[in-house]
Amino acid sequence: MSHSTVPRSRAEAKKKSPTQTPAASGGTTGPGDQKASGKLSLRLRFRRDRVLLLMTLPVVLLVLVFNYIPILGNVIAFQEYDPYISDNGVISILNSPFVGLENFQRIFEDSAFWNAVQNTLILFFLQLVLFFPIPILVALLINSVVRPRVRAVAQAVLYLPHFFSWVLVIAVFQQLFGGAGVLSQLLRENGYDGINIMTNPDTFPLLITAQSVWKDAGWGIIVFLAALASVSPDLYEAAAMDGAGRWRRMWHVTLPALRPVIALLLVLRVGDALTVGFEQILLQRDAVGPGAGEVLDTFVWWNGVRNQDFSYAAAAGLVKGVISLGLVLAANKVAHLMGEQGVYKK
Amino acid sequence: MTPNAASASSGPSRRSFLASTAVATAAVAGGMPLLSACGGSDSGSRDGTTSDKDAKKILPAYVASNVVTPDIPSKNGSSMGFTAKLDVDTLKTSVAKKLGKGGKVTIMSPFWGSPPKQNNPYYTSMNDLIGVDVQWRNQDGNTYDQKLGAVLASSDVPDVVVVPGWNMMGKIPSAIISKFADLGPYLSGDKVKEYPNLAAIPSDAWQRSIFGGKLMGLPMPAPSVPTIAPLYRQDIFDKEGYEVPQSADEFMALCKDITNARAKRWACGDMKWTAFNTFSVLGGGEKPLWWNLVDGKLINRIETQEYLEAIEWTRKLFAAGVVHPDFELGKSQATDPAPKFAAGEFLIWNNNIVNWYGQQASQATQNPDFKVWGMDIWGHDGGDPTLYAANPAGIFAFVNKKASESVIRDVLAVANVTAAPYGTKEWMMTNYGVEGTHYTIKDGIPVKNDKGNNEVLNAYVMVASPAATTAHPDLPDYTKAMVEWERRMGGFTKKSAFWGLQITEPSRYTNLANDFEQLEDDIIRGRKKISDMQQAVSDWKNKGGDKLRDWYKKILDENGSAAN
Repeated sequence: MSHSTVPRSRAEAKKKSPTQTPAASGGTTGPGDQKASGKLSLRLRFRRDRVLLLMTLPVVLLVLVFNYIPILGNVIAFQEYDPYISDNGVISILNSPFVGLENFQRIFEDSAFWNAVQNTLILFFLQLVLFFPIPILVALLINSVVRPRVRAVAQAVLYLPHFFSWVLVIAVFQQLFGGAGVLSQLLRENGYDGINIMTNPDTFPLLITAQSVWKDAGWGIIVFLAALASVSPDLYEAAAMDGAGRWRRMWHVTLPALRPVIALLLVLRVGDALTVGFEQILLQRDAVGPGAGEVLDTFVWWNGVRNQDFSYAAAAGLVKGVISLGLVLAANKVAHLMGEQGVYKK
Repeated sequence: MTPNAASASSGPSRRSFLASTAVATAAVAGGMPLLSACGGSDSGSRDGTTSDKDAKKILPAYVASNVVTPDIPSKNGSSMGFTAKLDVDTLKTSVAKKLGKGGKVTIMSPFWGSPPKQNNPYYTSMNDLIGVDVQWRNQDGNTYDQKLGAVLASSDVPDVVVVPGWNMMGKIPSAIISKFADLGPYLSGDKVKEYPNLAAIPSDAWQRSIFGGKLMGLPMPAPSVPTIAPLYRQDIFDKEGYEVPQSADEFMALCKDITNARAKRWACGDMKWTAFNTFSVLGGGEKPLWWNLVDGKLINRIETQEYLEAIEWTRKLFAAGVVHPDFELGKSQATDPAPKFAAGEFLIWNNNIVNWYGQQASQATQNPDFKVWGMDIWGHDGGDPTLYAANPAGIFAFVNKKASESVIRDVLAVANVTAAPYGTKEWMMTNYGVEGTHYTIKDGIPVKNDKGNNEVLNAYVMVASPAATTAHPDLPDYTKAMVEWERRMGGFTKKSAFWGLQITEPSRYTNLANDFEQLEDDIIRGRKKISDMQQAVSDWKNKGGDKLRDWYKKILDENGSAAN
């Protein structure tokens, strides 16, 4: 933004005429004005911020059109929706009979749904424990590399797998760890039994997590690296002067700098807890069967898109949405208790 | 044969299961008015079937085509075979004048393999021949069911949508009835004579194209023999002295003999479909064929002992470690089994019979020793097998209801070319492409080159086809063996009660049996137990299976049984 948000100097601040409205001064006000703005009426605040509001309008419209209006479609969760009545989805919805909470009742009685919930939660916790810390560790590692060329190469190598499609990643894993893959043949050539890691339902969550780490851990370090870059070198120098060693510098300087970012990402991740990698799992669902491979997203897909039971799928999606909302609120609360900003604050 | 192009490189996909199928006459006796709502109070208005008598009123007239007499005529529901040398210079013309009016037609169709670029020489020369600008929207055939529902529910349905019978699950049949055009006004009775190649499509294939009492589909006729053949590497069998097995036990013993995992060799792929055939399980990909009348009561295949035995036998194969590990992946198979079959990693692969030719042709140049052959289906106890007939048409092309008359006429022009019989210029172009570009003549025999194999694949053959034909001028021995296999197996084939009918189940029951295929695969791979299947069957009964049985019984009472 071109406007300065904080008056650069006392003199500049003084220049503002007291009768001038804040909006007329162009842009938001400095922190000093915050108290005053709380007392302003809503209308005045609108007038003051109208330029900013105008600037956000396109985005608000987009969100409205593509996120909020489609929410209305969730009404089919309370219907026996038949999309083929008409070419127009809205007309189909209007003409489909309401069935009340029948779909939800079916969901709560459906063992396949609870199986999907269970698999989803297992995967979430596993990824939280095994996946989440890895980008942080890698970021710290990369950050400690001094030579820029080595660092650039390492970063490039780490980012690259993110751009591979899941189909490719899974095919590579299959070639390496499948029943006729490199590992199994190596074992057989040495007189052991082959192992088929790709189709073992018991270790499936670990396999999924390992694939995610391989593919996306490198990509995940970007945010942490940005946070690390913002740490002033002065702090490290000062700490070193005070006799802090490598580990103490990390503990007292680096990690506190990362803490808000970690908290933010953790809250976001928890909000996404029930979304554990649709494409990756759909591709491998049949390899281990739905008993281990069905998660909420594939459950919704299977019932909605494949079986055309759209109402049932919509109901399952709604239940997922409600649980996710609860999780975000809870995680945010925890972040606040820890003294962090979290995703939002009142 | 037409479907060969479609599945030359696919695994034993769902399509292979059904792509093949019947001929012979519709043996549906009796006759009642249109069963538009025969399920009673708990069914919508789109379910039911169309009786023989009503069908007669809308079926196109049949005018046989006599372009080339088959060397091996159809018998026992087999396709007809052409083994004599094809003289490319004296091909006949079956479409005298271009019927296309130059309009643009978009077609969505399943595609097995890698689709070629739009506007490649095959597509453009076919379009020139037809006089219609066909734009293909090819979709992956193995996951076609997952896209179909979404496309049909949208407002952007292409002009033509190709729907295989095995993808007609859930609400798809009701979508077909409400979203696609009635072709009756263009094809019923003598009107079809304007399109002579369509008039030569057998009537029972047309009867299968009737949805909701209207003639809607352009069919791909198929032999009624269940054409999943256990293909095997005859070259390796001969070298190692293996004998073709005659019973379930012999097969198991042979598999143990063959398998040597350390040397990267396994006996077979997933043999489930062969097990269904050898154990006489009612079948076919379409649910109405799962029912049959046993001692006056309708029985679904999932309730039968044979079904459980077939699953258990296949499970034992997996448990014995004789199945190539890639097949443990089930339908999500990440890799194409064909190269592993060619490399001898496994020797027996149940597959659509069209791949008997397809596998052989694809290896012809780089692998001269490679020889694939088909085993006869054995009875599990060593006796003759009892097989159940598949339907006489398994894949249909539908025209969008919103299409204008000129678009419909253009689509029919496309179909009239793609349905041209063997021995015509149109057949040659549809199945082999352009001479010099896609195939060359060697010793009077057309041989596809790489460009031909890449481009002349699926697409046009999916729209409408001539009566089931097996004709591979480049491999006449294989053509003969395949047709004879069908004729022999056809001798063991019986029709089940609802054979030949197009039946739309009431929407509340359509998803009842969807999960059984998954459960079968889970049991076979040791993740679930046979007792889970028994539980699932009793759940199925309680959740509506018994009501569905009553519903089918009504259809049977009104139409009579097709069983023989």
